[in-house]
Amino acid sequence: MTPLLLGALAVLFAGPAPWVLAHWPGLRRTPRAAMLLWQSVALAAVLAAVGAGLSLFTSHAWRETPGAVGALIAGVALAVTFLVVGRLLLSGHRVGTTLRALRRRHLAQLDLIAHTERGARVVEHDVPVAYCVPGMRGVRVVVSAGALSRLGDDEVAAVLAHEHAHLRARHDLVLEAFSVLHRAFPAWVASRAALGEVQVLVEVLADRAAARSAGSLPLARALVAMASGRAPQAALAVSTASSGALVDRVQLLKDREPRRAQTVGLLVAAAAVLALPTAFVVLPWLGSLT
Amino acid sequence: MDVLWSAEGDAMLTVREVHGELAAQRDIAYTTVMTVMDRLAKKALVEQEKDGRAYRYRARASRGAMTAELMRDTLSDFGSGSRESALVAFVEEASSEDIAALKQALAELSDS
Repeated sequence: MTPLLLGALAVLFAGPAPWVLAHWPGLRRTPRAAMLLWQSVALAAVLAAVGAGLSLFTSHAWRETPGAVGALIAGVALAVTFLVVGRLLLSGHRVGTTLRALRRRHLAQLDLIAHTERGARVVEHDVPVAYCVPGMRGVRVVVSAGALSRLGDDEVAAVLAHEHAHLRARHDLVLEAFSVLHRAFPAWVASRAALGEVQVLVEVLADRAAARSAGSLPLARALVAMASGRAPQAALAVSTASSGALVDRVQLLKDREPRRAQTVGLLVAAAAVLALPTAFVVLPWLGSLT
Repeated sequence: MDVLWSAEGDAMLTVREVHGELAAQRDIAYTTVMTVMDRLAKKALVEQEKDGRAYRYRARASRGAMTAELMRDTLSDFGSGSRESALVAFVEEASSEDIAALKQALAELSDS
């Protein structure tokens, strides 16, 4: 029974649950709690999948006389479990090394050509961009001269506050974790939706931090000015960006209600997603082994 | 270090020449310059060429070309969509409909 239950939970957390979360725009109004729920659903999916494999293995291999069919099932279950864990580890390694190499290369070039202004690295280029280079060492906030020339002082302050919020909260680690999941299981779980939504939530969180210190109106003006300035390029590129997310971000700046009920509900859900399967499925199974 | 890069034309300089240039502005050890040049060469940011017993160096690209290259990489990183991203962008790419909707949303925010 245990493998079946855990298997069903794994499927639920990997498919329908992320789908529902991704199609619930109201979730973005409580970004911090929503982010926590996303993380616990993702973790629960991985744990349930691994648990299903292991419990199927033990339920057949732990018997006195396993028999040929039992041994076969146990072997296959163990192999599949190792495959899942192996894919995750491999994907984690690949994503980690790729990102570190890209960032290191980027920093080396950046530090040669950029000058420092207002605590940020300024690149002499007309296209208005602002971004941060996250990482363990040598984090940078970068703006282009094109961005500085298009934005007023308070707007620049808002942009910088937004980027510093990303770096302070280590949003890159959350994005990296979901990138790893997406790389490991691209097609048959809703990892694309999860990554996309977490990317938006991270922006909303940084927006809130920036709005607190620099004001929501300058931030909104900066968002619109920067998006408009890059339009010619966007027309050429294949549009992969989650359309409408930017509009949502500006609209969310207007939304200042705390929404305690939703926050509490999401936090309870986040805890339940991890705690309930552990208490009612995993603990009895582990107990039955000894 | 890049002060000197952009100052020179297409000529290749030895560490001694680079050091001479820098030492005029501030106190810097010859070995420091040598180490930095070597590191830049390893990162393929400068070209290194053996000339007798010494090495000669030249920037791989002009400052402007390097800036353009960096920005191209940056923008393609932003446009990567579902792929993992090395950088975290302030705004993603927006279509013209998005921008119209954005201006509308901004107007509403300003009114409230």
